[in-house]
Amino acid sequence: MSEPIRINGFTSEVLGWKAWLPTIKLDSATPDQLAVLEESHPQAKVSDYYLTLAHEPEVLRQRSLAFNAIMYAPGGLSRAERELASTVVSRINQCVYCASVHAHRFEQLAKRNDVIAQIFSDPQTAGTTDREKAIVQFSIDLTLDPAALKAEHIQPLRAQGLDDAQVLDLIHAISIFAWANRLMLNLGEPVFSHGL
Amino acid sequence: MTITPESVDVLDDLLGITPGKELHRVRHARDKVLAATQSSHAQFFDPQLTDNLALSERLWVAYFASHLTPNPLLAEYYLEQLQGLDVDPAWVAAVNAGQLEALGDHRLQAILVFTRTLIERPVEGDRQALVVLQQAGLSTAEIVLLSQLIAFLSYQVRLAAGLAALLSAGAAS
Repeated sequence: MSEPIRINGFTSEVLGWKAWLPTIKLDSATPDQLAVLEESHPQAKVSDYYLTLAHEPEVLRQRSLAFNAIMYAPGGLSRAERELASTVVSRINQCVYCASVHAHRFEQLAKRNDVIAQIFSDPQTAGTTDREKAIVQFSIDLTLDPAALKAEHIQPLRAQGLDDAQVLDLIHAISIFAWANRLMLNLGEPVFSHGL
Repeated sequence: MTITPESVDVLDDLLGITPGKELHRVRHARDKVLAATQSSHAQFFDPQLTDNLALSERLWVAYFASHLTPNPLLAEYYLEQLQGLDVDPAWVAAVNAGQLEALGDHRLQAILVFTRTLIERPVEGDRQALVVLQQAGLSTAEIVLLSQLIAFLSYQVRLAAGLAALLSAGAAS
């Protein structure tokens, strides 16, 4: 893997995250809380994020089902393009932690990070191909002004070869990061191991 | 219009994504996303949830969030649910005008101020914003539920906007 990108306070290196609220304690957790941690993420039991959300286990369970189905389901939009959209949304919402995680995943899937550097520098002009530019612009538009979204916004995606199932996958990936970014931004903060 | 969460999908229903339409087929092919979205909605507005935010508080958050975005379809839907709880019309007027201090309810005011921050400027929701909620009497579990609810509404409104755009774009040629 190449050197991490560091631009405008955003990074593709792995960050930590610490909670602002008291987290649940594993030794006093209910069986349901432990079960939902195991369902949500392989490292959930040592993650401040999941240990915060586990205060409301059924809400976390449905969130994780939605998140995992949106980001990992086979078929439709490629996983790399879903991660691309997630990174754009996180950059627009200024969620440094989420941007780092999903920039890293994009790089793992796509074996390149040129577009990530562009997104961190200036998301409005990012995209190494016309298809990427269309995905980036749609991600920005739906994130910033959902009330203004119209049929005309769908046409550039179709023109780049996305069918409606892929457009829906893109809408899901953008929307789930409206959700994820707010939890990461508003319940805790990133921890930088090396400093920026 | 009263929608029972168990029987229908709220977004299909509000947007008119009926069986037989191409978008219905496309959306229902992602059945796990569909089910988790509807289950989340049903859970956030479950009247049986009694050990956390009151149903009226959850519906005020949803109404205010969709009013701010704005999404008239969702705002009308949540307002109808609120009116089913016999809320004071003066409170609806105060919330519409963003005059949250006029509610005279310190706890609801703090909840709605937090809602406005997360909907409009999520990066500004800092540690102090949680302290304000704690000072207004919210427990940790209530703050977690509130944050999840506002974050879910941010998801739901974008999914609704995306589906509506796809619906009006019609079938791909």
